[in-house]
Amino acid sequence: MATVQGKEMPKRSASLLFAAAVCLFLGACATSGPKFSEARPFPATPAAGDGRIYVYRTAVLGMAVQPEVRINGEVVGTATPNGYFFVDRKPGNYEITTTTEVERKLSLTLDKDQTRYVRLGISMGFFVGHVYPELVDTDVGAKELQDLRYTGK
Amino acid sequence: MHPWLAWCAAALLGACAFDVIHVDQRPTQLESASASGRPFELAADVDVDIGFGYHRILKKGTKWRSLGRLPQGDVYTTSDQVLTVEASNIQEAYIVIESRKLVGFYLPVEKTFSPLGQRMDLAMKDLP
Repeated sequence: MATVQGKEMPKRSASLLFAAAVCLFLGACATSGPKFSEARPFPATPAAGDGRIYVYRTAVLGMAVQPEVRINGEVVGTATPNGYFFVDRKPGNYEITTTTEVERKLSLTLDKDQTRYVRLGISMGFFVGHVYPELVDTDVGAKELQDLRYTGK
Repeated sequence: MHPWLAWCAAALLGACAFDVIHVDQRPTQLESASASGRPFELAADVDVDIGFGYHRILKKGTKWRSLGRLPQGDVYTTSDQVLTVEASNIQEAYIVIESRKLVGFYLPVEKTFSPLGQRMDLAMKDLP
């Protein structure tokens, strides 16, 4: 009996180790900030005359691919699965870019007091997935944001 | 592997990885002082083929207002839906209408006109 247990132990230990490794990996990728629906962002609205751009990613597919997100060349966050952040900016023209093995770009306008929603999608790539920013309708963006966690600084 | 087969595979994979498709754009000048087009509401959905296999739906019930005029037609925008054109990258777009037909898009960031391959009829309901 002891022999049987002795033979099973390494197998069981390996399974436990594998499970622990998976948990650690998923834990490392998990987004830890408060949910949008539980803790609204601060400030709740941008300064008078500014607009707000929410950037978020719902896609968990390709979770290891988390490139930086730039607005007009400035790093403003990362493409974290199930996460969101926002930036307040003066009205004007903006380019939002993400770079993996290629750069993907979205150009958009921002008006005074306007809120825009940019979803980060993922598509197949050669070596790694491509994360691409896309402009979505306000009602869609506001709804999708509810379950996402804040990843801003 | 046959050299031609290898070349085709490389080209195909390269096409996936890099920016190989671009929206046709022509520099243009928006004259906002001459926003003469009447506002209208779309009476039916319009499925627009923007090329490269991408489509956009202009939604029924959306209200459009004139922003100005290009040599190619009147530029209209709406706050009822977002509109973009797409190839390797995505660009916000407004619609351009000439003689009540959709003739292309104005890209406000790039300040360019992107023509449609074929003019499209729109079910336009004029607004006061």
